[in-house]
Amino acid sequence: MSVESKIEMSEAVQLAATKQRARIGTLLSLTLVALLALMWVVLAFSTTSFWTYNNISNLLRQGAMIAILALGETFVVITAGIDLSVGAVVGFSSVIIALLLTNGFPISVAIIITLAMGLAIGLFHAFGISRLGLPPFIMTLATLTALRGVGLLITNGATISITNDTFTGFSRGDFIGVPNLFWMVVVVAVPAYIFLHQSRFGRYLFAIGSNTEAARLSGVNTTRMLYLAYTLSALCAAFVGILLAARIGIGNATQAEGWELQAIASSVIGGTSLFGAVGSVHGPLLGSFILTTINNGANLLNVNAFWQRIITGVLIIVIVYFDGLRRKKR
Amino acid sequence: MDQVQQDGKRSGAADSVVPLLELKGLDKRFGATHALKSVDLIFEAGEIHAIVGENGAGKSTLIKLLTGVHVRSGGEVYWEGKPVALATPHEAIGYGINAVHQEVVLCPHLTVAANLFLGDEKVRLGLLQHREMVREAQKILDEIGFKIAAGAILSSLTIGQQQLVATARATTRGTRFLIFDEPTAYLTRQETAQLFALIGRLKAKGVTIVYISHRLEEVFQLTDRVSILRDGQWVSTQRTAETNEEKLITGMIARSIEQIHYKETIPFGAEILRTERLSGKGFEDVSVRVRAGEVIGLYGLVGAGRSEFVQSVFGRFPKTGGQIFWKGQPVEIRREKDAISIGIALVPESRRDQGLCLNLGVGLNINLPIYKRLTKGFVIDPRAEAAAADRQIRDVQIKTASRDAPASSLSGGNQQKIVVGKWLNHGAQLFIFDEPTVGVDVGTKVEIYKLFATLLKNGAGIILISSYLPEVYDLADTLHVFRRGRLIASHDSAHTKEKALHEAILTEALGV
Repeated sequence: MSVESKIEMSEAVQLAATKQRARIGTLLSLTLVALLALMWVVLAFSTTSFWTYNNISNLLRQGAMIAILALGETFVVITAGIDLSVGAVVGFSSVIIALLLTNGFPISVAIIITLAMGLAIGLFHAFGISRLGLPPFIMTLATLTALRGVGLLITNGATISITNDTFTGFSRGDFIGVPNLFWMVVVVAVPAYIFLHQSRFGRYLFAIGSNTEAARLSGVNTTRMLYLAYTLSALCAAFVGILLAARIGIGNATQAEGWELQAIASSVIGGTSLFGAVGSVHGPLLGSFILTTINNGANLLNVNAFWQRIITGVLIIVIVYFDGLRRKKR
Repeated sequence: MDQVQQDGKRSGAADSVVPLLELKGLDKRFGATHALKSVDLIFEAGEIHAIVGENGAGKSTLIKLLTGVHVRSGGEVYWEGKPVALATPHEAIGYGINAVHQEVVLCPHLTVAANLFLGDEKVRLGLLQHREMVREAQKILDEIGFKIAAGAILSSLTIGQQQLVATARATTRGTRFLIFDEPTAYLTRQETAQLFALIGRLKAKGVTIVYISHRLEEVFQLTDRVSILRDGQWVSTQRTAETNEEKLITGMIARSIEQIHYKETIPFGAEILRTERLSGKGFEDVSVRVRAGEVIGLYGLVGAGRSEFVQSVFGRFPKTGGQIFWKGQPVEIRREKDAISIGIALVPESRRDQGLCLNLGVGLNINLPIYKRLTKGFVIDPRAEAAAADRQIRDVQIKTASRDAPASSLSGGNQQKIVVGKWLNHGAQLFIFDEPTVGVDVGTKVEIYKLFATLLKNGAGIILISSYLPEVYDLADTLHVFRRGRLIASHDSAHTKEKALHEAILTEALGV
């Protein structure tokens, strides 16, 4: 066989493989959409209360917060890092905004200060990781513990009630029939999509997750990009803290316990790789609403709450296993 | 020689009629890929048997079948005349089949001794006998002539030394059949000499050696017989003494040898880079000049200072004295960023570690340094992005299914082209290639040499670092020899074809 025809053949094989990969990739996101749709259809027929306006809005409100959290987390995970602190940041932010509002700060100022605090936490994470050389897991595990402690300390363990009705009213309100909280997902996701998939910073995040040294040698300021990723994650978490405070009307440092794991799970179910360099914006969104639907549906079906956790665990293993199979075919 | 043959017969239990290992119609499929097609091969006890072939010819598959890593799809394997399954690595090791792989597969955090005894530790009353193992290991290393401290942590050794440790490990456990996969790729000349001496001794003990290497001169220096594989098929087996380099290459690639040493004469243009008495960590007082269209070759032993010199030019280590001139103007290069921005590109030795984002698309890799230029407002212009990637894919002839195909799906040579394309895109004019052809096959080498020609014709200059002398004197227009941190001789291409000079260069580099 001549060299040319050999090359042509291998090119043809490669081409077919690439096309197949693209197909399987689309297939996975379609599978997630189908899975979500299937769950909704089954629940709509098997319960009387699922397909009601109240329940769907409730589901969208609950899912919205995990979705935003998972989106922020995804930026970090794409760089092959992890942010374990997001749940603690949510709880801490709820305390901060509740304190600010009870002390008479206007809502806008309170929100800006809370977000700025989230920003500071993100900068601190990136500082520890890039300057002190701590592994992301350790750095954010430390702040996970510490932030809960700080929150409890400044409230002395107490819950702060929010009396500002405009603030709490926002979370119950809707706009053209869709809950405000769900609109917040759109508000975060659209810029996030442009950032991750259409700006150079998104490309840099993927490059860092794939090979930090190659990215650095290509002139990417990898340190600055890490600051960006962890800051975005903490900002999203602080934002979710504000939304949570509005929804439940209190600030409490122990709120959102374990949400970091839900955020990571949503992201991973949505196809993000914990090894970095693989991820999207729509993936974690789908993942978070799948998880929320499981919880919501299990409640309606009177499934023991303990079972919900088991189902979630099994689902993560199944989905990520099939996703791994997909990648191995490369 | 007779003595050796006799020794071989004595320790191999079978008589000379029954070969140690025989393959009949060995076949291996991976899904749709037919990696080995009905290969017949005979390995005699105590012979050194070379297997040559291009990347993808089936050599790695063959090793994996023989060591039990993969199970064959068809055919028979006979060990001393008896059919065997070779279904697990454990079974293969049981017969005494071992392999030294190209990449070191040992534990970098453990000592040399601990690695040598890994899985077979000396234990007394359930406790590890550290000191005894170190003593024993040192004895083994001394015996086989490797100058390595048994108590040293493996990762503190050079890659070459680690390779020798892996070799020592493979020879200590009753090995009767030892496969070497590109063992000299990372070795210095002295280490290579130590390895060859060991191989000679193993042969004398009756061990059968399978030697896989792209360096054909080693095949001629070392082996008794040579087999060629091409496209997963057996082509020929001959006594090494009865063939020559040209015949082997023709057998491997079915192309003529003129195409291998590919060098075009390209007129030199203006000066691109000049160093004047540059000094830094590990080198001193080095003055070189690169012109457009010129390749300068830096030759020397590992640790002679050529890599350190280049790292300094690229801004990785600051210089301590002297001056760098870029197109005649003095420049300060303090960081890699400075070097990149004036137009110097480094194509690193380890493509995996430094050069590429392997699981990302070809296009993304190519465009990584220039995304700022491709951005309009906040958003990347998708058409400009595609055009920039496609232009480089076309210009440096990267063979890829599409610009979105992951870089890992490309061959080694094409991956290197991505690195080059990336820097061309950025406007680089001086390319530093650090060992560009380590572990690549003949066909890929030609591709890399052609790439050099393309770059030179476009007015770039090249600094080539290579430990492989034939390559340096084939490709370099000017050849600089480094020894102990100093540039001790420079030769110009008009003379480098002479054999006497070839030897002189070796002598200079070795300082004999």
